[in-house]
Amino acid sequence: MTTLAAQCPIPAGRIRLVNIRRRTLLVAQLRVLLVGLAFVLLAGAALMRLTWLGVVQPAPTERSMAEALLPPRGEITDRNGVPLARAFPAYALSFNPNAMKDSGPPLVKSPEEVAAELKAIFPDLDVAETVQKLSGNKREYLRRRVLPEEANKVYAIGELALELPREPDRQYPQGRMAAHVLGYVDANEHGRVGMEAVLDKQLTDPALRGKPVALSIDARVQGALEDELRRGMLSVDAVGAAGLVLDVDTGEILALASLPEFDPNKIDAEGESNMFNRVTSEVYELGSTFKPLTVAAAIDDGVVTDLSKRYPSDEPLKVAGFLIRDSHSMGPTLNVPEALIHSSNIVTAQVVDDLGAQRLQRVMRDLGMEERPYIELPARGYPLYEKGEWGRLRAMTVGYGHGIAVTPLHLASAYAAMVNGGIWRPATLRKLGPGEAPRGRRVFKASTSARMNQLLRMIVTYGTGRSADAPGFRVGGKTGSAEKSSKGGYARTKLVSTFAAAFPMDKPRYVVIAMLDEPKGTVASSYQRTAAWNAAPIVGRLVPRIGPLLGVLPDETRDIDLTDLRPLVEGSAE
Amino acid sequence: MTKQSRIRRMGWIAVLAICTAFYVMLVFKVNAVHSDVVRAERKIVLLEQQKSMLETEFETRSNQLQLAAWNRVDFGYSAPTAEQFVENERQLASLGSPRAVGAPAPIRVAGETSDGDMPDFPKLVSPLTGKPVTQALLEPEVAEKGSARLVGGGSSASVRIPLGAVIRTDVP
Repeated sequence: MTTLAAQCPIPAGRIRLVNIRRRTLLVAQLRVLLVGLAFVLLAGAALMRLTWLGVVQPAPTERSMAEALLPPRGEITDRNGVPLARAFPAYALSFNPNAMKDSGPPLVKSPEEVAAELKAIFPDLDVAETVQKLSGNKREYLRRRVLPEEANKVYAIGELALELPREPDRQYPQGRMAAHVLGYVDANEHGRVGMEAVLDKQLTDPALRGKPVALSIDARVQGALEDELRRGMLSVDAVGAAGLVLDVDTGEILALASLPEFDPNKIDAEGESNMFNRVTSEVYELGSTFKPLTVAAAIDDGVVTDLSKRYPSDEPLKVAGFLIRDSHSMGPTLNVPEALIHSSNIVTAQVVDDLGAQRLQRVMRDLGMEERPYIELPARGYPLYEKGEWGRLRAMTVGYGHGIAVTPLHLASAYAAMVNGGIWRPATLRKLGPGEAPRGRRVFKASTSARMNQLLRMIVTYGTGRSADAPGFRVGGKTGSAEKSSKGGYARTKLVSTFAAAFPMDKPRYVVIAMLDEPKGTVASSYQRTAAWNAAPIVGRLVPRIGPLLGVLPDETRDIDLTDLRPLVEGSAE
Repeated sequence: MTKQSRIRRMGWIAVLAICTAFYVMLVFKVNAVHSDVVRAERKIVLLEQQKSMLETEFETRSNQLQLAAWNRVDFGYSAPTAEQFVENERQLASLGSPRAVGAPAPIRVAGETSDGDMPDFPKLVSPLTGKPVTQALLEPEVAEKGSARLVGGGSSASVRIPLGAVIRTDVP
């Protein structure tokens, strides 16, 4: 049996072994294949991920230095580069109930404890309101503006739900100064009211906002103007005041103030009520300040050739059932210089009568009195005047500044044209480079302008403007006190006192307007309400402050030559 | 593959390896410099922001309203008057007045010109010997060479003593 078995060529057990081996090999190969396939799949997945990262997903943004330094909103400076409005990175404090990203309470401590800790940092915080906000589950601002030191203290509390997002803000380093010129930026990051609104596109344009925009304003002059106006306004208990300083040769506005003002850093209801601009959008009957313009028109037209000609002035003038009278009797007759010095309505009305209504209207139109004032600001008041041809009475009243309501800016531009040699130019708040001044249009002859400079100087030397006579600065100007118009006539107790001035009169360079709205008689104004007692002293104090800054040095050895006119008023001048 | 070609191949591989190593080093270096630049830029941005912040704070603290309040209340300043300005020389001269009779003689300041019988400029005296320092004293060799020319002609006023000079007293 065994031999038989040994003789068998391929024993059955061996065949089985081969089969097992083959099967095992197959299994092993299959396993290797599977593992290899798994690796290939893994590699494929990694490759796909790499491709995704490299091609589809955007690369992490890297900001260049220029981009990081570009302010979110352009800077506004004054004419000398002093920043008036600039972008300012600020922090806000907000409560985010989902900051912890779990279903637990948003705060680690109790809302009362956190509110007490916040109160220690911000003493003016309303604790009850804050606790209510912290207990709610709404994302809310706790404070809109937080200082960096305060932000660090808030971090130290250690609550993740108190977030301090960085927000772009607008900072006005000069506070309330020039608020009406600058305006403010609202919550939607757009400018409002002033030059912020006018320059909005330029200030937000990425290509342009890196460069500061220079205004024609001089911060020092603006500060002095506001300071003196405020002082004058408070001393006579006026409801408002307005003023501006204008360069007569270029039309650049060096200072423009409307009081009471608002704080562009903090807009509230009170601020919003003060946003209307008394210089550019409110119209007033500016009274006797129009008389020099009327006389200039008459001289220019050849109607007044002899300044010594005397006009009757003792009787009120009756025109079309209307009485034109003076504030007090000024003697039986007056010549034109005396009429200006004493501010006689009766004589001015007679000069207008000689000139003719049409010719006066043409001059007023040439001076821009029948259109909105020329300035960049969005708020520009439309003057109130009689449309169509003026009648005799209308022209007479316009001659002394009644029956026409214009903005103080209209008056400033007209005075600039009267004193600068006769060229009217639009006013601007942009800084003009040398040679960029507009050509303007001629309204008066140069000879008329020279004569008017003498007459304006005489009003300050001998007449109602004496308290504006800053020694050495050769100020010239005219007072104007008009009753405010109300329903059905004029309010006898409410005045608008204006002083329109220019200096130095031997070579006029700047026009200064100071206007008080409803001044009252106080000790400071010797219980008087007229411009000679309240508006003129403002100019008298302002000019010595701004003159040297603007390159006008006081010199008592110089003045405009008045020798030919002095004999006409001597004796009558008080 | 012959032995030579194997060596050549090894050589190529070595060159490639070295080049790769250099390339990697260069990439590292470039990246390092790049990150330095980025860091510097970030620092510049931060400093610029700080500067602008400080500038704003300074401008805010020194605003015109505040300055006017200080000038008026704390210092009592007021605008300068016409007498405080002098515009030209003529105005300056007009401030003077002619000398009154019997007034003391005005103080005159001495002035000399270089010509005429002016004495020699004072000579530098040696602190050691008390004798005037001359060129010969300072540079004896030169003085010996051209003694006829230099010695005795010591009128040069600006004599500089070089550092480490030996001052000889035996030369007249």
